[in-house]
Amino acid sequence: MIQTETAVETAAVTPSPAKRDFAQLWQNYGTFGVLVILLVLSSALSPQYFLTTDNLLQVLLQSSVMVLLACGVFFTILIAGIDLSVGSMLALTGMVTAQLMMAGCPFWLAILLGGVLLGGLLGAVNGLLVNLTGLHPFIITLGTVAIYRGVTLIISNAASVFGFDPRFGDIIAGRVVGVPVPVLIALVVAGVLWFVTKYTRLGRNIYALGGNAQAAYFSGINVKLHTLVVFVISGICAGIAGVITVARTSAAEPNAGVGFETFAIASAIIGGTSFFGGRGKIPGVVVGGLIIGVINNILNLLNVQSYYQQIVMGALIIAAVTVDKFFGKKNAR
Amino acid sequence: MVALVAVKGITKRFPGTVALQDVSFDIRAGEVHVLLGENGAGKSTLMKILSGIYQPTSGQITLGDTTYEQLTPNLSKAYGIRLIYQELSVVDYLSIEENLFIGNLPTCKKWGLNVVDRVTIRKKAQEAMRRVGLKRHPAMLVGDLSISEKQQVEIAKALASDARVIIMDEPTSSLTDEEVAHLFKVIQELKAQGIGLVYISHKLKEIPIVGDRVSVLKDGRYVGTYDARTTSTDKLVAAMVGREITHSRPDPTREAGASTVFAVDKVSSKDGRVRDVSFQLRQGEILGFAGLIGSGRSELMETIFGARERNGGDITLNGKVINPDSPYAAIKAGLALVTEDRRHTGFFHNFSIAENISILPMLKTAHRQLSLERIDFAEEKQFGDDYKARLRIRCSSPAQNITELSGGNQQKAIIAKWLAAKSDLFIFDEPTRGIDVGAKSEIYQILRELADAGKGIIVVSSELPELLSVCDRIAVYRNGSIAEVFNNADATEENIMHVATA
Repeated sequence: MIQTETAVETAAVTPSPAKRDFAQLWQNYGTFGVLVILLVLSSALSPQYFLTTDNLLQVLLQSSVMVLLACGVFFTILIAGIDLSVGSMLALTGMVTAQLMMAGCPFWLAILLGGVLLGGLLGAVNGLLVNLTGLHPFIITLGTVAIYRGVTLIISNAASVFGFDPRFGDIIAGRVVGVPVPVLIALVVAGVLWFVTKYTRLGRNIYALGGNAQAAYFSGINVKLHTLVVFVISGICAGIAGVITVARTSAAEPNAGVGFETFAIASAIIGGTSFFGGRGKIPGVVVGGLIIGVINNILNLLNVQSYYQQIVMGALIIAAVTVDKFFGKKNAR
Repeated sequence: MVALVAVKGITKRFPGTVALQDVSFDIRAGEVHVLLGENGAGKSTLMKILSGIYQPTSGQITLGDTTYEQLTPNLSKAYGIRLIYQELSVVDYLSIEENLFIGNLPTCKKWGLNVVDRVTIRKKAQEAMRRVGLKRHPAMLVGDLSISEKQQVEIAKALASDARVIIMDEPTSSLTDEEVAHLFKVIQELKAQGIGLVYISHKLKEIPIVGDRVSVLKDGRYVGTYDARTTSTDKLVAAMVGREITHSRPDPTREAGASTVFAVDKVSSKDGRVRDVSFQLRQGEILGFAGLIGSGRSELMETIFGARERNGGDITLNGKVINPDSPYAAIKAGLALVTEDRRHTGFFHNFSIAENISILPMLKTAHRQLSLERIDFAEEKQFGDDYKARLRIRCSSPAQNITELSGGNQQKAIIAKWLAAKSDLFIFDEPTRGIDVGAKSEIYQILRELADAGKGIIVVSSELPELLSVCDRIAVYRNGSIAEVFNNADATEENIMHVATA
């Protein structure tokens, strides 16, 4: 009986050479290839507008918040979980940052406390609830997405907050050598997280946990501690995205980030992250975020109604995962 | 007496192995025919052939007076053969009566529609429940019943669908003594009603109480059929384990070192699965743990390894009390646990061979969990190359994904990760499960080399020949504690089985 099973499994992991080559290619360059094709296509469709420095920077700027959220969500998917609460965390951290500044707190301190620290705390609450209840993160964050949004609406009386220190917006939403600061922030955060996942023991342990939580436990990895850290990372990413959102619009909106989790998850999935955990890379997630940004941008340039954009987005998610299912090398990181 | 079911000369081959070879067996009306054999002797295969799930490679099956080459599940069912698995298959969210008729609900015409005939169901359910002595309301949810009552529901379900032959697979494995006594009474009732029963069990002491005849299978072969009441337990055990192949024993001149490497002193687990266990392991010694499946050996090892909450007692490694409260603490202290289920608790399917090996030394040498220390990729490659050569892991490269390896080579990679972490005490839980014969002997050799290098080795195994050929001493485990410890020279499969099944 056992021998038959082994035989079946061996057959399953040894596809034909052609399929294997494509799988390898898709695994390594698939998402990037899709982005390149999109860029070429967009340039052809809208030659006079798309390929301008201003427009390309605009794409990057608009993608930066999504890339930040996606990097956080990526970690939670990597451990075979999910974080649906990133949009609500973005709103709550942005709102608290703005209110701290209104209360006279220096803007840099407000960013640290209201953005980064609070983001980390909200993420820690998600992680602790997952650890304590043993429920799937989908359930926990489905709850906190509403809770965090509710708190945001209560502390703001459902009203926008604006009129804070102008230096805040000037710096966070400004430009350094022509590049928007949010783009730089997203790049730095993604770079740090990429380094952590690829080069550090913590990163390796998170992949191990995502691949096989039981084996990770018996190999001495503290599963709960790593789960907590993963959600804290997601919270901090959302907190930074919250600060950027407030800076860009010069106001904290209680309804900021509604539905953003969909795009963040989509970025991670399109970027090749496996929903079953243990597989995916930060560069892929960044490219996934950019793909969504480019599609939105080109559809805008072509004056396509935003409703169609949603259809394109949805189709893309299904297509990306389908290709992954049939050609993805299930055993590679 | 007429046989209800008779199989003659059944052989069943699977790719690479012969599960049954020329087995004959029959079941008469109103008798309990016990089927005895070790794990893997072919009992389940034979029962699956009777229920039409497997088709035999050759042989004949006679149901009443019709002879078939092979059965289908429908044919088997139509004749009245019912299999009651060890894992009960009742539906907790349905009532007793609904469970009895599930998939076969009687209907009646009402307002021109076919609706469930509640009246007939209730009447038939009460009748079936009376026959098994289940005194509950038929509308009660099965989820609210005890295990033994659920088992009665299963039996009643077989009766309600006109069973002629009921096969019970290890029916007493999760019952209390009292519940077992009740089950035996039900079995007597069924016999009186002319039902033929096949009773599969490891528990030798039940055989004279419940059985009429007993047939023994060994390594897929039919050994013999005996009178269940008069045949001695000794004779049955000998029939069960007597092997043609003689197995080697460890070199008797090998002296274990004088010093104690590892000691477990009065250790219990909080959930009560491990009760007051003590043993010692001397340097260079391999200690085996024998016992029936479910006797709690894995639970003991998990407790030692900090994966199951300990309730008192001390665990000492190289003279130092370590008492790990987590696998992490156990690993830091020098313990290694090669778990019994490679796929679920052993390897990382998303990692290469080298990555699977390096994960442990990386964690053990890190100063803490959540370490941001860099991964040493050169060292990782070194680990992969070294252990590929040392443990003869057959792969094209250590960078290959681990799922591409055979079971035996996966196991070697898992052993390699514990070696790379410089562990001092190795616990192997079923180290050769699902591994082919060649790789098995390689694993045994690795165990011996580790012991000779001064590591403490504990081997848990359900294969007695394995324990006898590898271990210097064998502890027989029963019901959450050590029942007896044999020196290899005094140990035989027979006396180990005697203690394990007592």
